[in-house]
Amino acid sequence: MNHLKTANAFVFNAEIDANYLNSLYGDDYNYMQEVFNTVLDEYVSLTDNIEFSHSSGNLAALKASVHKIKPVFGFVGLTSVQQQCQQFEQICSTVSSPDQLSGEFEALKNKIFQSKLLIEEEKKKLELFNSNCS
Amino acid sequence: MSLSCIIVEDLQVAANYLKNCCEKSGQVEVRGHFSNVTDALSFLNSNTVDLIFLDVEMPGANGFELLDQIAFSPKVILTTAKSEYAYNAFQYNVSDYLMKPFTYQRFMEALQKIQPSKETISTNSASDHIYIKTDGKLIRLNNDAILYIESMGDYVKFVTMDGKKYITHNTIKNLEEKVSKQHFLKVHRSYIVNLHKIDDMRENLLFIKGNEIPVSKANKADVFRRLNIV
Repeated sequence: MNHLKTANAFVFNAEIDANYLNSLYGDDYNYMQEVFNTVLDEYVSLTDNIEFSHSSGNLAALKASVHKIKPVFGFVGLTSVQQQCQQFEQICSTVSSPDQLSGEFEALKNKIFQSKLLIEEEKKKLELFNSNCS
Repeated sequence: MSLSCIIVEDLQVAANYLKNCCEKSGQVEVRGHFSNVTDALSFLNSNTVDLIFLDVEMPGANGFELLDQIAFSPKVILTTAKSEYAYNAFQYNVSDYLMKPFTYQRFMEALQKIQPSKETISTNSASDHIYIKTDGKLIRLNNDAILYIESMGDYVKFVTMDGKKYITHNTIKNLEEKVSKQHFLKVHRSYIVNLHKIDDMRENLLFIKGNEIPVSKANKADVFRRLNIV
């Protein structure tokens, strides 16, 4: 890590827990960029699984697919979304059908969609930051 | 590099991060990454590794099904957050859990739990069994077959998985020095238990296949230390 990067630390969107990211990656912004890239690469298949399991009425698969995407949000510092997934998983254990989760599901789905836009935006910022530092 | 491992994980970002931690540690050589049990099993049918980083919930088959099917017993670190796997994890002698995402420091703590055991395996590699003299003959008992050993004065009773009991002239004190430290622990002046066979523990009692084993106050700290409680 060069001195310029340390002096001009990257400023994340307020929704991202920068301290948490720092605990995972230190100040390695190139690696963070890689992580954001990888997350976006697999984002669609993970969200497709959630949509499919919900539309097919498969509660166990819905819970499993939300469980699967949950840590992804941690890897990009969206710890509040990670917690929302955890809460959704817990609610899944209290109902017998995805139909009983319409409100919670819509809220989670919207959050997941908004999170993708945010991750894309942060990835672009990281690319710019890293190219300026190189 | 002192440990070889594979990563069985279907989440790419988690697998990449894990690989990065392994490389950074300089202690673990990643010999493969597999996103499902079938591919991992195919590799393990012709290769052995010291350690498996294993996700539990994966498409097709879960991580424990992989452990059921391999012919050797590597160390296992689970990369899952689900506490309902605790019982299974215990049965499979899982060394640690890593809740994704985990810090590098947490990763290193998990590795430290593996390293000393590896030395123990090495020093005790010849002692995966013992012979006991009973009924005028020597009988071989594999460590894995023994549930616990109970003192009976100048004799001890070996209780095994198949429900058999073997009585032999010996003492708990003497046996404590001779049995594999990796498998066995003295939990009471009258009992040595196989750590891999403990089903649960309540207060000052261990439960092993329906048998209640008392844990003495003096040995309780040792028991907790060896149980890898997470």
